[in-house]
Amino acid sequence: MMNNCNVLNNEDLGLNWDQALALASQKGERVIPTLCAMCGPIARGCGIYAFVQEGRLTRVAGMRECPVNQGALCAKGQAAPQWVYSPDRLKYPLRRIGAKGEGKFERISWEEAVNIIAVTLKQQKEQYGPESLAILAPAMRTYNAYLKRFLTVHGSPNYGHSGICALQRAFAFMYTLGDKPEAQIDQSDLIIFWGRQPVFSGPAMNAPKALLRAKDRGAKIIAVKPSVEPDVAKADIWVPIRPGTDAALALAMLYVVVTENLIDHEFVAKWCYGFEQLQEHIQKYSPQWAQEITGVSAEQIYQIARLYATTRRACIDLGNGVEHAPSANDAIRAIAILIAITGHLDRPGGNVFNITGVSRLQPKDITLRERLTPEMGKKLLGPEFPLEFQPFIEGYTSAYYRVLESVLTESPYAPRTIIAPGTQPAVSTRGSQYVIKALKKLDFYVVIDVTRTADMNYADIVIPVTTPYESDHPFEMFGGRIMARHKVIEPLGDYKSIYEFFLELAVKMGYGADFWDGSIEQCLDDQLRPLNLTYAELKKYPVGLEYEKTQPRTYENYSQVFNRKSPKLDQTPYLPHGKVEIYNTYFKKAGFNPLPEWREPPESLTGTPHLAKEYPLILSDYHTSKCFTASWQRNIPYLRELEPYPVIHIHPQTAAARDIKDGDWVMVKSPHGYMKVKAELYPGIRPDTVMILHGWWQGCQELGLPDYPLLQGGANVNIMYSVDPRKAYDPLITAMSSQTLVEVKKL
Amino acid sequence: MAGLCILFEPEACVGCHGCEVACKSWRKVELGLKWRKVDTNWQGIYPDVKSVFSSKACKHCEEPECMLACPAEAITKEELTGAVVVNQDDCIGCRVCLQACPYDIPQFGSDQKMQKCDLCHNDLVGNGQESDNNCYVPPCVATCPTHALRLVSVNMGHTLPSGDN
Repeated sequence: MMNNCNVLNNEDLGLNWDQALALASQKGERVIPTLCAMCGPIARGCGIYAFVQEGRLTRVAGMRECPVNQGALCAKGQAAPQWVYSPDRLKYPLRRIGAKGEGKFERISWEEAVNIIAVTLKQQKEQYGPESLAILAPAMRTYNAYLKRFLTVHGSPNYGHSGICALQRAFAFMYTLGDKPEAQIDQSDLIIFWGRQPVFSGPAMNAPKALLRAKDRGAKIIAVKPSVEPDVAKADIWVPIRPGTDAALALAMLYVVVTENLIDHEFVAKWCYGFEQLQEHIQKYSPQWAQEITGVSAEQIYQIARLYATTRRACIDLGNGVEHAPSANDAIRAIAILIAITGHLDRPGGNVFNITGVSRLQPKDITLRERLTPEMGKKLLGPEFPLEFQPFIEGYTSAYYRVLESVLTESPYAPRTIIAPGTQPAVSTRGSQYVIKALKKLDFYVVIDVTRTADMNYADIVIPVTTPYESDHPFEMFGGRIMARHKVIEPLGDYKSIYEFFLELAVKMGYGADFWDGSIEQCLDDQLRPLNLTYAELKKYPVGLEYEKTQPRTYENYSQVFNRKSPKLDQTPYLPHGKVEIYNTYFKKAGFNPLPEWREPPESLTGTPHLAKEYPLILSDYHTSKCFTASWQRNIPYLRELEPYPVIHIHPQTAAARDIKDGDWVMVKSPHGYMKVKAELYPGIRPDTVMILHGWWQGCQELGLPDYPLLQGGANVNIMYSVDPRKAYDPLITAMSSQTLVEVKKL
Repeated sequence: MAGLCILFEPEACVGCHGCEVACKSWRKVELGLKWRKVDTNWQGIYPDVKSVFSSKACKHCEEPECMLACPAEAITKEELTGAVVVNQDDCIGCRVCLQACPYDIPQFGSDQKMQKCDLCHNDLVGNGQESDNNCYVPPCVATCPTHALRLVSVNMGHTLPSGDN
């Protein structure tokens, strides 16, 4: 810092508890320590101080004591009051009285709403079996355990997991390495952010800080993605890959390290199974071959493969971007193999194992995993992973879209009730056209949310629930730290929390004995028993409690991790040879290729060149934005001002060739649908690719912005993609494709 | 004489807009107006292209052009903090300050009067967030995850670094 000025806030961000109390008292306010809820209620939430004036939440500050955010907060966190008081909030339960989709509802009481659902589920269970109930899983939320418990007690395996997030990476990694190893960025000299968004996925969390720290100490940063996002802005090398072609790039990197002998021979000899088969298999995947598919020059592929392999402390931070292509499983396991054979596995600065010591205390798992049976697995509507690999980490899972599809196909049977708790199927999965048809056909659809949702008009019953700011439960915990949620304000209408909803519904179903007789306090106490705590005691800690110190990390834990048991009911190990499974015998036995291979997206420049004349550009979408969480929060004015319109990123040259100027409304047309959105001339995107944020539908009343149509002519990118069962999925891990070809025209 | 200002380091900014929204939320800034604004600026051409972020607010100039230009003498520079502030009662909404400001900072809301960042000067002293010299940290600075914004005290008479405040 310059010698003529003094920095007044050195490293301290946000407020600590004493400062928050002092500020509140000075302003005549109350302050409540709790956790931010703008990314949904999640275990790894940012701590906040919420200020309340005359019963109303006015503003929030970051909690310095919370290790997740250390006092910082992002735009979403700061905008919380506008979300809580939005005119889009649902205030009381609704029953549909008009036709499906018409939007005519009548107000009913909470009690009545829970009763109607219980009566319907009991009747359907008797008539169609318990598997006729499916619950669509939102992103990883704290309440997901309650959804799984309810399904298991009811007797249904149909937990509809996305098929496009987190579990896809976990599956390929676990069945190749026995772990999904983390990039140890703080120890690394070379970091590859691959299909990853380290900034917008949690701006106040550690990832952006770790990126900047790495840059400050001179680590080389490589970013692999089709367009320039903040991580690319900080990177030394940008690898501008075509969407959906990560497997081709990973295979070509394997080719380079294998043919140039840049491998860790000792590790490979001792800890890898099937390297010889890989050596032969990889010969067809040269960088020259990959250049045609990925749009990345062979020269750059050689460069990054050599840099990665020859830098001792190098890691790959693999993001959600690789989980949306028919070749996703092969991309991820090719990267897993690359990490292993170059000697970067569980070594300092590489990708290190998640080792939880056996002594680590954990709250009780309430998902009732121990009650899963092989018979339940056989009733899965549309397994997210083949049955021989289920249950996986999250228990039995049907793929979200396949649950909805089976309403239409009635194959293997038709679900009769679908519950959507904090998730919006019409905009959150592909094939919205078919989703809406399914919701129209479905016997009974229940929407649970805090604000109105995209497809609420198709619901039979709408259950409003508290935002986490209106609830004093549950607790959140990660690592050795635990914190109770503290209620900031009273609920604004006739509703309770989603946790209370499932407890009450369970009691009405006759499942009370398994649901603490409906008592949320007993439910929380039961979970906390292993920590020797009651919830009442935990609530006395305003900023949470560190009950166990993080243990120092050890490295090269190969024999431990390579012999891990899988979550399957027979607990067979993930790795049959106790080694890195380069040649995957389980996959082979199940009828899949034992070695990673390339598979084209349903539509692409190299896979379907006949389409490229009419549709010359690749379309894909962003999973994460700086101002919204998934398809939520477009109704928040302070956030919407940052991104008022759905925009498609298009390179200025590509736009000029079509006479498109910045801010023009354009028509984007694929073989499956069309959108009307605004063009943003974006110098940092591949000229052959256009991209848009997913999840657009909701208007913003305060800014006079209308809702957009859910289907044709709106801004919902999910109508644009193929959902052809033969082409649109990774055959092993679902991973629905988010790539197609389009043309863009000025409107 | 000492004054305060907020320095911005572009290398540390990740473009999250936390500062911009913290400002609006804590100061209840009207929709459509921005006292602090984060922008993305492009450098180079594909594939050697970068985005660089900026976070702009009033610089609280040592010799504010807006203050000199204001015919109603509604703009003053605070003694203690150096904050350039607008007296809303005196402002006549003539927008001469907007023409005078080299950085395009003045904003005009539904009341037609000028408003902008005032360095949270009313809260700057003795307000809970105590630092070395009993100083409150404005919410935009306090929320920034990567310390791209920093509150600094500046000895007057020196040139501010590179105009990045």
